[in-house]
Amino acid sequence: MTEKDKTIEIRWHGRGGQGAVTSAELLALAAIEEGKFAQAFPSFGPERRGAPVLVFNRVSDVNPIRARVSVTNPDIVVILDPGLIYITDVTSGLKEGGVLIINTTKTLVDITSELNGPWKLAVVNATSIAREMLGVPIVNTTMLGALVKATGIIELESLTEPLKERFGARAKGNIDACRKAYEETEIAELSGIVEKPRKTFETETFPSWQELLPGCVVTEAGNAKQYRTGDWKSERPVLDHQKCIKCGICYLFCPEGCIGQNEDGYFEANLYYCKGCGICARECWTEAIKMVEEE
Amino acid sequence: MKRTGMEGSFAIAEAIKLARVEAVAAYPITPQTHIVERLAEFVANGELDAEYIPVESEHSAMSACLGTSAVGARTFTATASQGLELMHEVLYVASGLRLPIVMTVANRALSAPLSIWTDHSDAMATRDCGWIQIFAENAQQAFDLTLCAFRIAEDPIVLLPTMFHIDGFYVSHTIESVEFLEQEVVDKFLPEYRHPYPLDPDKPVTIGAFGPPFIYTEAKKAHEAALRSSKKVILRVWQEFSKLSGRHYSPVESYKAEDADVLLLCMGSFSETAMMAIDKMQAEGQKVGLIRLRLWRPFPTEELRQAVSKAQVLIILDRALSLGGTPPVCSEIQAALYPLKTRPKIVSFVGSLGGREISAQGFEEVIRHGVDKAKQGELDEFEIIGVRE
Amino acid sequence: MESLAIYVPRLVTTKEYFAPGHRACMGCGEALAVRLVCKALGRNIIIANATGCMEIVSSPLPSTSWEVPWIHTLFENTAAVASGIEAGIKVLRRKGKYTKRTKVVAMAGDGGTADIGFQALSGVLERGHDLIYICFDNEAYMNTGIQRSSSTPLGASTTTSPAGKVSIGQTTWKKNMPAIAVAHDIPYVATACHSYPFDLMNKISKAIEIKGPSYIHILSVCPTGWRLPSDLTIKAGRLAIETGIFPLYEVEKDRYTLNLDFPQLRPIEDYFKLQGRFRHLSKEITSQIQERVAAEYAKLKKKATSNNY
Repeated sequence: MTEKDKTIEIRWHGRGGQGAVTSAELLALAAIEEGKFAQAFPSFGPERRGAPVLVFNRVSDVNPIRARVSVTNPDIVVILDPGLIYITDVTSGLKEGGVLIINTTKTLVDITSELNGPWKLAVVNATSIAREMLGVPIVNTTMLGALVKATGIIELESLTEPLKERFGARAKGNIDACRKAYEETEIAELSGIVEKPRKTFETETFPSWQELLPGCVVTEAGNAKQYRTGDWKSERPVLDHQKCIKCGICYLFCPEGCIGQNEDGYFEANLYYCKGCGICARECWTEAIKMVEEE
Repeated sequence: MKRTGMEGSFAIAEAIKLARVEAVAAYPITPQTHIVERLAEFVANGELDAEYIPVESEHSAMSACLGTSAVGARTFTATASQGLELMHEVLYVASGLRLPIVMTVANRALSAPLSIWTDHSDAMATRDCGWIQIFAENAQQAFDLTLCAFRIAEDPIVLLPTMFHIDGFYVSHTIESVEFLEQEVVDKFLPEYRHPYPLDPDKPVTIGAFGPPFIYTEAKKAHEAALRSSKKVILRVWQEFSKLSGRHYSPVESYKAEDADVLLLCMGSFSETAMMAIDKMQAEGQKVGLIRLRLWRPFPTEELRQAVSKAQVLIILDRALSLGGTPPVCSEIQAALYPLKTRPKIVSFVGSLGGREISAQGFEEVIRHGVDKAKQGELDEFEIIGVRE
Repeated sequence: MESLAIYVPRLVTTKEYFAPGHRACMGCGEALAVRLVCKALGRNIIIANATGCMEIVSSPLPSTSWEVPWIHTLFENTAAVASGIEAGIKVLRRKGKYTKRTKVVAMAGDGGTADIGFQALSGVLERGHDLIYICFDNEAYMNTGIQRSSSTPLGASTTTSPAGKVSIGQTTWKKNMPAIAVAHDIPYVATACHSYPFDLMNKISKAIEIKGPSYIHILSVCPTGWRLPSDLTIKAGRLAIETGIFPLYEVEKDRYTLNLDFPQLRPIEDYFKLQGRFRHLSKEITSQIQERVAAEYAKLKKKATSNNY
């Protein structure tokens, strides 16, 4: 098999609402525009806005794409949200000599210590670029620029038309952000060794068919409490004890029901569940709660 | 025991009363209506201590039954034809949630064109819903098998809804003689229904959680295994019932079939008319016999193989089409016999659609025609009998 | 603004029956409304839940967010399932097999109530079952990706009523479900919103005590579908009430009570400008909507004042 016959597989890590699906679609459209074969599809599930999501691409210069299964051994991994590297094994199955592209405020040196392995590492501060060029911290199109720089999988210009098509009047900002990321992405060849995954996507074990109760009835009331929705947040509430009057309004309005009163009477969010919606901060009469970025 | 003259629908209603059913949710549709009308009377007169929910559609009838059964009440409903089709999606839920609802279906053709008359189109369209499905041919069987249906459905290792088929009009609206059982006998035969995980604030359960890809396959495997293993419970219950009543039932029933080279196979009430044809032809010295499928789901593969093992020709008369495909009963039987080294030649007919009748003489012609086709090797396609060209 | 007593925990049970770990979007108003409803309902209940966001986010096998008995079956039949549960309990109680006085509660979204589940709901209200039906109205099919329902307000852009060069988005006025419930002559109908939690919980408590069917229609802000930042959920709900587009009221038999009345309604613009789904609306359309809102509010107010004896 020649290099040209190879199908490049990409896995995107993002959060519901961050536009990872759009990124993958634009990449596939641009590759198809270049005369390549490509596909883009998300991993479907019940997770909502804020929840970690996976999206997949396959790109081949010459062969139609036949595989209709999730990408488990990617050549390229793109991480839209820096917080994800702490809650999921973003490098799971990443091939030796593959490419890991991450949106982070950290320097190449700092991030290397966290994500060292036998791969190429590319970093870009996409959040800051997106804020500057688009006015919002939505990094999906910005990260396309970083992807092109780090892999050369398509030509940067090929993205222009798909971006125009998708964003219309707002295309220019997205094209500029994409280009700026292309310019600012830093790349290093690493030579670390991966011994074992730090955390797999699904560590739970599920029942055999004989273990299911009739009709799949669940007898353990409220066992969803084991599920950490705290992984979804990109901002967390911080309470200023000086300003807090312990009224409990934050407790009342929390959609997660994750705010409780501690021994000193203060209401604090349980970060295991807090998704970082910011309602408590917005509704606090005394402005005692501030939302601060995770990471 | 004394025989009483009674319409099939009312015989079923008597069985429901004797079974001390606690909840009935139903919507009127011909030819089922007499059953639930009689039940409503029982409730109105205080003869049956049950909640009768006069719902606004069959979809809601089956949905309300999900609720009554999940809370632990013995539940019954009845429907036919379009009503069964309107329930269709709810049928899958009832079986997937393992709620042992018992339902009588008064078999009737499906629109269009609209037909209120009997065939098995409605029954066959529900064969993949995960219910136990049993066919009765007359009012006595309807009475007996209705009582058995609750025992089977509610058995802790079964817990599956059970659909009980009678032919519309030919059983539902026909007066014939029926022997009933005494209440004490039924009470002994049929213990109180206990749902193992009912909706109860003291032990909160979640029923009907959704199945992501990593668990859906296991859920369906468990359902499939329960349906298959229900057969041994069915055999046990029918055996026990025969000791009480002297009337014996089995998954595949043979009529004068011991030495038959040619077998006719059919289901439902017209099997009894077919018996007359068999009697006559045997009297004439022909080696013909009859078999009927009493149990349709779980499909009685072993019993069927046994029943047809000595026959040269098997003539299958379906009372429904699988439009564009092989008639449903025939395709199931072909699948069941295919792995065998020796098997009879199968001739497939479809007949008696939408209430078109077949007389005893008509059955004789079907058998003769089937034998001719088998001799000439015309086995490729099914034939709709009696259709005008 | 609702007069909130300062120390919330003294007024509200700290017990939760809708456990955290549910997978609703961040800032989900419906999850908050469900949480508050469950607090007010307490433990002696059985819930029948329609297919929709709340079912999906709360019950992926093998887990559940529910601390009370709960059943989901289908989309359009929840009222019917609940009526079965109610009837089942009734007969079992009569036979001495069930001893508690358990309230049955049906929950569904606006699609499951005003569209596909409409017939089953009407049947249940007409038959007079002793249960509470709660519609969590987020004004579109959010579970399937923001398609219009008959409860979507005029002018809102959804994926199947998109605003375009020749369309203002949703072209029809929001179906008045509470009025339809009232037309069934049931003992109690109320509207509520998670932004007024005490009013909401009081109405649930009232419904528990009522014999026969109650219908409670809860406006539930959906930051994803309404396209607004997740921290503005409570504010958006408050503005819906303050602008009069979703008044809080109760109907007990024929008696109407406007729970929160404003001498001067805020302009509808204040509510619209928060949300992406109305961003395309022209001044002209907005003022047409404003007029209709004022007229509907006046009608309601007239009903409320005419029976204030």
